[in-house]
Amino acid sequence: MKRLFMTVLLAAAVIMLGSGMAFAKTLKIGTMGPLTGPYAADGVDIKNGVLTAVEVMKANGGIPGFDAIEVLPQDTACEPRQAVATANKLINEGVKGVVGSYCSSATLPASEVLDEESIVMITPASTNEKVTSRGLEYMFRMCGRDDDQGAIAVKFMLDKVKAKSIYLVDDKTSYSQGLADGVEKMSAAAGIKVLGHEHVNQGDKDFSAILTKVKQQNPDVFYMSMQNSATGALMLIQARRMGIKATVLAQDAVYHPQLIEIAKDAANDVYLTFGFIDDNAPAYKEFYSAYQPKFGNPGAYSGYAYDSAMAYMMAVKAAGSTDPAKVKAELMKLDYDGATKHVKFKENGDSGSNYIIRKVENGKFLNYWNPATGELY
Amino acid sequence: MEYFLQQLINGITLGSVYALIALGYTMVYGIIQLINFAHGEFFAAGGYVGVIFMSYLLSQGAPAWVCLSGSLILAMAYCAMLAVAVEKVAYKPLRNSSRLSVLLSALGMSIFLQNGLMLTQGVYDKAYPTELTQGGFEMGNVMLSYMQLFIVSLTAFLLVALNVLVFKTRIGKAMRSTAQDKVMSALVGINANRTISITFAIGAALAAAAGIMVGLYYGSVRYDMGFVPGIKAFAAAVLGGIGNITGAMIGGFIIGMVEIFAAGYISGEYKDVFAFVILIAVLYFRPSGIMGENVDDTRV
Repeated sequence: MKRLFMTVLLAAAVIMLGSGMAFAKTLKIGTMGPLTGPYAADGVDIKNGVLTAVEVMKANGGIPGFDAIEVLPQDTACEPRQAVATANKLINEGVKGVVGSYCSSATLPASEVLDEESIVMITPASTNEKVTSRGLEYMFRMCGRDDDQGAIAVKFMLDKVKAKSIYLVDDKTSYSQGLADGVEKMSAAAGIKVLGHEHVNQGDKDFSAILTKVKQQNPDVFYMSMQNSATGALMLIQARRMGIKATVLAQDAVYHPQLIEIAKDAANDVYLTFGFIDDNAPAYKEFYSAYQPKFGNPGAYSGYAYDSAMAYMMAVKAAGSTDPAKVKAELMKLDYDGATKHVKFKENGDSGSNYIIRKVENGKFLNYWNPATGELY
Repeated sequence: MEYFLQQLINGITLGSVYALIALGYTMVYGIIQLINFAHGEFFAAGGYVGVIFMSYLLSQGAPAWVCLSGSLILAMAYCAMLAVAVEKVAYKPLRNSSRLSVLLSALGMSIFLQNGLMLTQGVYDKAYPTELTQGGFEMGNVMLSYMQLFIVSLTAFLLVALNVLVFKTRIGKAMRSTAQDKVMSALVGINANRTISITFAIGAALAAAAGIMVGLYYGSVRYDMGFVPGIKAFAAAVLGGIGNITGAMIGGFIIGMVEIFAAGYISGEYKDVFAFVILIAVLYFRPSGIMGENVDDTRV
């Protein structure tokens, strides 16, 4: 009898707990990114992008069924272990959707944990191929992929620079080394002579020894694959001072206002692969006007974080709940012009790459070369 | 040959920075046998004070030499005061407790100062004005930038000044005697607390100078910039014989050179490995470092 009583009590408790959850009126969105450490700038950009998306969503009437939208920012420090810990923390908080993280090396392990709990993860910035190639159910990506990015870099070297030789430097992260290895392979296959591929350590400031080597080898293209734009800026200053004449080609992580702020004149004539963003699109203007007054000029991935959070909230709105299967179905149905790109997810969670070549001129990033048409902007 | 010369210039420049930071470690160790892990933070703080003041002076239209010397003096003075305060707050109360507790206090201070810098100055890199650092001499393919020349000559000047201070002045004499025997020197009327404070101040001032040079040369400062050079400079101090001023200078130059030549001739990826292999090899054969730890005359 006592046992039956306990069972009934337990069942009642479970039902109450369940109904309690159903009536929860706050939508929790987790963000993951480095808020401390060398990549803190990029993590803060992502957090600010998500906060902006939430503000805009609220201003546009919010999400029916939810009184409030709460953002829970987590600091991964770009470390795999800490990323897993923050993922677990978000799971405990009852978060059903996460925007993040920044470094591929953090996104890869964290997404495994989140996917097991059927939590939707949309990365605004992790470009490593493996992010979406592992068959995870709830992994989405707002930015492009490194294999596409590398291919565009090589195409640019062949078609526009007419390069015969290349020298690569990376700073040994899943992302930066993965990308540089890909470019090295593709360059060699395309007949561009690889004169060297060097690796530098995190936290290094002095690149004089390696740059002296580059200068001696005199390549046509100097490919700089850095996880951190500030490190890229330091390398540029030293390269220019040393008188390296090679065309400098960098990638999306170096694409950040910091590059120009630190390197100043040395940043001029640097070419970078980055996704095409139409500054004049209405969605971008809406994002910019909400972001800029609060957080200053957007960083490289602020817009992608904004779109990621927006996509998630739109899917929740359409699904009417945070049920992962329903949200996923709604995410797959999305087909609209976001601030940074046209949002339409593919089966594997990718949203497509649209890399172009940008160039720094007079202290500004300009759209430079369109690989699809082979023409200048 | 040109390649070698260029790498030699690179090595001397980097070595100068390490030598300046290493001096602070070694002086503090010499006088109170403490490895001051917060020392790297003085280097970072110096870099920040430098950039803030330098940008201000430049915006007021001050000439280059005023900007450079003004911010250098201010940063050195600021860090000297900061170091004295840190010593009073975190180390002095523990002077008679075990060496481990002071060491932990130093580690805590390092974390505190670094995070303080992050909270007040932000997580972004702060750029140094580059107007002052353009240009250089070019001999064939070898580049010697004005900045490198500035770094090496300023380091040389500071090293000479420090040697004069330690070996030719009354303060230096007090420092050396306190290092040898605190009780005995107190008996002959030397104020140990004051002497220790002065030692901290001098070490931090040198680190601040290094911070500004690094900021100018590499182009920016960041709140966590003190950590890696701090570790390297500590290794340099140990390599030269911790507690020994000449040793710290030699150690700094050796670590800088080894790093550059390892990166230049072998691989950039393993340059730190080579620097530390040299350290281990030297310590294996000479456990007290190149110059030895207990050369009492040169110890501070």
